[in-house]
Amino acid sequence: MKRLLDPRYIAAAVIVALLVALPALLGDSPYQVAILTGAFFYAILASSWALLAGIAGQFSFAHMALVGIAAYTAGLMGRDLGTTPLMGILAGTLLAGLVGLIIGILCLRLRAAYLALFTIAFSEIVRLWFLTEFQFTEGSNGLMLSKLWEGISGVQEYYIMLLLLLAAMAVMYWFAASRFGLFVRSIREDQEAASAMGVNVVRYKVLIFSLTSVIIGLAGSVFYHIVGIVTPNTMEILQMSLVIAMAVIGGMESLLGAAVGAFVSRVSLELLREINIFGLQIELGAWRYAAFGLLLMFTLRFAQNGLVYPIIDRLLMRRARGETVAKRLQAEGSMAGEEDS
Amino acid sequence: MIELDVRNVFKSFGGIQALNGVNFRISGNEVIGLIGPNGAGKTTLTNVLDGVYKPTGGQVWLKGARIDGLPPYEIARRGLGRTFQVTRAFRRMTVLENMLVPAMALHPTARQRDFYRKSMEVLEFLTMEHLAQEYARGLSGGQQKLLELGRLLMLDPDIIILDEPFAGVHPMLMEKIYEYIKVVHQQGKAFIIISHDMESIFTLSQRLLVLNFGELIADGRPEEVKRDPEVIEAYLGEEEEEEEGVVVISPGEEGAWEGTDA
Repeated sequence: MKRLLDPRYIAAAVIVALLVALPALLGDSPYQVAILTGAFFYAILASSWALLAGIAGQFSFAHMALVGIAAYTAGLMGRDLGTTPLMGILAGTLLAGLVGLIIGILCLRLRAAYLALFTIAFSEIVRLWFLTEFQFTEGSNGLMLSKLWEGISGVQEYYIMLLLLLAAMAVMYWFAASRFGLFVRSIREDQEAASAMGVNVVRYKVLIFSLTSVIIGLAGSVFYHIVGIVTPNTMEILQMSLVIAMAVIGGMESLLGAAVGAFVSRVSLELLREINIFGLQIELGAWRYAAFGLLLMFTLRFAQNGLVYPIIDRLLMRRARGETVAKRLQAEGSMAGEEDS
Repeated sequence: MIELDVRNVFKSFGGIQALNGVNFRISGNEVIGLIGPNGAGKTTLTNVLDGVYKPTGGQVWLKGARIDGLPPYEIARRGLGRTFQVTRAFRRMTVLENMLVPAMALHPTARQRDFYRKSMEVLEFLTMEHLAQEYARGLSGGQQKLLELGRLLMLDPDIIILDEPFAGVHPMLMEKIYEYIKVVHQQGKAFIIISHDMESIFTLSQRLLVLNFGELIADGRPEEVKRDPEVIEAYLGEEEEEEEGVVVISPGEEGAWEGTDA
């Protein structure tokens, strides 16, 4: 009971309740619901990248390429093999996980800038392949994907993405708070020292690549069934940069910070399409991305922990710092000590 | 029974022969000093022993099993732990988390609460318990050295290699490290201590190994080794005086006392 009264749990329950009620509060507006559904997708991408890069220290740029691989797999299976969306999503998720695993193995000895360059090159190769193999992938026209089921509504799609986001966050929080989270953070800090302390660096590096790839593979294949079309543009470095910027603005060492950062950024970018200042309508168009870039520069210069995470930390998590086992262990240890005394 | 057997180990980097047929054996809980001029191959030998480098020739056996070529984490789990010349604490993790990493890596099925208890016991021994929730990056250089020693206790290896444990350490902290070595040695652990601090080496070591240009030029009791002409010429220099068990040595012309190793 005491645990349920923890401000963090109360805040989480309030936020989830608000998100559940949001479509009704917006009057089921298809446009607004679609924007929020997309924001959930970006929240999954940014938080999983925060896990991979911020917590595990693996600066990969392959996220969007893996999303593309999963979405194209799902789409191609539906188109060419006539499988159900569920089968396509399953296959896309598994293939993304497998490719992530292979990238993890190939990148074992690569660090920082070298890993980034390797994954940028990988992403471009994948994008160009989907772009040029026109007869197979429809090239720049994009590949059509069927809806998840006949007659699915935008609100149902909203709830599916919300559910995916909550499930992904739960899995990633569990991982970050477990011994695996502790090990990948030690690898981030110093790979040689972690290995000298008995940590199997190879296993946990491959594991973190595979886990995040499965998560984004699932999210990507579901999301592009909702969107109805996937194009090679999905895998552009610009898209990847957007995800990274969202994670950095939110707080790249915090899963929740990155997710909230992505959600707010995505919604803000949409709201900034057209602004009204004292009755004057201004279409910002591509300039809103420039504003976003300025915000990113500000964050990197003045708030390396991100703009969102410090707020969350101050309001809710100061006394429970770190998504690690350490605090929990201390609590358990204290309890055990009280029992003993 | 602790047993480390280093058999004719070679290690080269391109045209540079960093280790040239090194042989020695550790039986039981000895405290061994490993000395030599800069570039002699001390750190290379450490990296070969703990699996960072695979030797280009020779074998390393630990407790009856061959370990050369195994990854460092496997060698650590088999009972050989080390510290680094430049302290390598997990800086953006708390002191307690630093302590938990080796314990949880070593005992995946043990009760988690035991890790916390043991961590706090070790931190108390190191008089660092009040720093348990501090980030390692906030600790002083000396405290980070103690933290590395603490992590080793959590790993609980049979053989501990300390690479320059006294470099840049305050005298009071040095006393703490002395105490650490003595207490842990009494628990049955063997030490290999690499240091340029001759006073500490001669105070602590029961046996001295001297490396020069990748070759082991001496292996014996400190009193014998310090009178070895080859060692004096290569490293120690001329002995000036000896009072109340304290050895004061001035470096020879080719002796190197400061700086970092290769």
